[in-house]
Amino acid sequence: MASAVVNFLNATLDWVTFASDGPSARAVVFGVHIGGHLFIEVFLLVVILFLLSQKSYKPPKRPLTNKEIDELCDEWVPEPLIPSLNKELQYEPPVLESAAGPHTIINGKEVVNFASANYLGFIGHPKLLDSCSSALAKYGVGSCGPRGFYGTIDVHLDCEARIAKFLGTPESILYSYGLSTMFSAIPAFSKKGDVIVADEGVHWGIQNGLYLSRSTVVYFKHNDMDSLRETLENITAKYKKAKNLRRYIVIEAVYQNSGEIAPLDEIIKLKEKYRFRVLLDESNSLGVLGSSGRGLTEYCGVPVEKIDIITASMGHALATEGGFCTGSTRVIDHQRLSSSGYVFSASLPPYLASAAITAIDVLEENPNLIKKLKKNIAFLRKGLSKIPGITITSNPESPIVYLRLEKSRGSMKDDLHLLENIAERVLKEESVFVVVSKRSTLDKCRLPVGIRLFVSAGHSESDLLKASESLKKVVASVLGGQN
Amino acid sequence: MAKLYVKAVPPADLNRNTEWFTYPGVWTTYILILFFSWILVLSVFGCSPGIAWTIVNLAHFAVTYHFFHWKKGTPFAEDQGIYNRLTWWEQVDNGKQLTRNRKFLTVVPLVLYLIASHTTDYQNPMLLFNTVAVIVLVVAKFPHMHKVRIFGINADK
Repeated sequence: MASAVVNFLNATLDWVTFASDGPSARAVVFGVHIGGHLFIEVFLLVVILFLLSQKSYKPPKRPLTNKEIDELCDEWVPEPLIPSLNKELQYEPPVLESAAGPHTIINGKEVVNFASANYLGFIGHPKLLDSCSSALAKYGVGSCGPRGFYGTIDVHLDCEARIAKFLGTPESILYSYGLSTMFSAIPAFSKKGDVIVADEGVHWGIQNGLYLSRSTVVYFKHNDMDSLRETLENITAKYKKAKNLRRYIVIEAVYQNSGEIAPLDEIIKLKEKYRFRVLLDESNSLGVLGSSGRGLTEYCGVPVEKIDIITASMGHALATEGGFCTGSTRVIDHQRLSSSGYVFSASLPPYLASAAITAIDVLEENPNLIKKLKKNIAFLRKGLSKIPGITITSNPESPIVYLRLEKSRGSMKDDLHLLENIAERVLKEESVFVVVSKRSTLDKCRLPVGIRLFVSAGHSESDLLKASESLKKVVASVLGGQN
Repeated sequence: MAKLYVKAVPPADLNRNTEWFTYPGVWTTYILILFFSWILVLSVFGCSPGIAWTIVNLAHFAVTYHFFHWKKGTPFAEDQGIYNRLTWWEQVDNGKQLTRNRKFLTVVPLVLYLIASHTTDYQNPMLLFNTVAVIVLVVAKFPHMHKVRIFGINADK
């Protein structure tokens, strides 16, 4: 092919030389000397005029081949606007008639509550109630606008500074809605063309953030470091040529859908080896893990600077609402203009920010709360072990005690039905309130479903004993009947 | 009752990477840049006008081939990567072919070739360089070459 090109060029040049030096170069027509150059120049002028005379058009898109048409027709399924609902999906959750503390009232009856993520028992805490009352008297209820539009109250700045001080980071940023924290933070940094490696067990809020970022999302097996290493290796090799590519690992500290704890020290080693950034959701580990409740970094002995972006919801251990993101100054400042949940939502009500500050103060003054919580978790796990038919799959230190069926009924729907039956009977017959993990139609998580018990430092030993005994009794009755 | 309301014309080109070529005066500026480049080459190298035109033609070839036909995407993050696979030539005028701007950009290398060849009296080796440059540039601008990657050269991944 190269030689053909060379021959073509040589032939062209020979022709040009011949045309300029040919016998006709000296011809005289009507007294005008016709030079060989004139031929080339006239030719090019004709080409230019021809080009200028062309009409513009939009290039038609390449028509599909018959094979492509057949493939598209085979793949096409008309999508219903909403998925079909059947009787099993119509579910009436129990209605609480008092605060969701360690004990609550349902249908006029007092029950032990294991359905609320009240890890430190701060719901109803007198100091938090006083803090809310004072803030209400001073600021009123709402902030009446986004942070950039007169929605900033001094207590927001105090809360951000307090969180950063507590976690040992330079700065933090407040969100007004805990669930939207992660699905605003992810799209603020990751864009179309970037790559995100996420655990397959992340909760829906994170999944929504991955979707909104429009990035390429690759899932690795749940809490499996070999799968993560393999995935990072594949992506590093695949995108070797791409230069302006941002790469992220998204994990939860304590997974809401399984109660497992991420091995952060191993993840940091992989992050530094393959040059990824880490987004860590600490909603279920803040105030729980570590000797002083600073979360997974303290628990694993990893310096907090190693994590690029940390987010957490404040509706769990801190017993307030909203969420925050903490990290370096650059990471935080970027979100003040680029994060939708911060820019476009009304800011956190001032009394909730005030409650968060007080909650952190109480936590720092009472480190025995964390010890009490850990003791309660261990006590409950001991009571729940050796129940025939179900098994505990969560981490021994996880505040979410996660029970799964030892043998699946064959489909998630059947498993859900059975577990809901157990939870319903436990509530009605034994006055113990537990929840079955629910997956909406939008949720992509494929982990097995189970029963979750959220342990609180406010639970007493008799509460924990009652829960384990009642579950043992009801599970024996339900599974015994099934078998 | 005529003209009570201002009728807003929608912008012709939303791509910030290519809309500058729709500004008034771009053609004139383009031609003046080439002319003053010629003056500059004449002054700096003190060569003959023909050699100077050849240098301008080859420099124009190198610059426009790289930025119009090789480099892909846009430097603006707001585009969200929608143009990541397109060269500037494929982005311009929203992909419409044989528009006035495309014709202008195709005529310029042809005219430069005419000037350079004429002023060097069609002698080698300048003729070879000029001919190769003009052929490559004009072929790359053909409507049939829209989104074509010969032998996968400069194709993505």
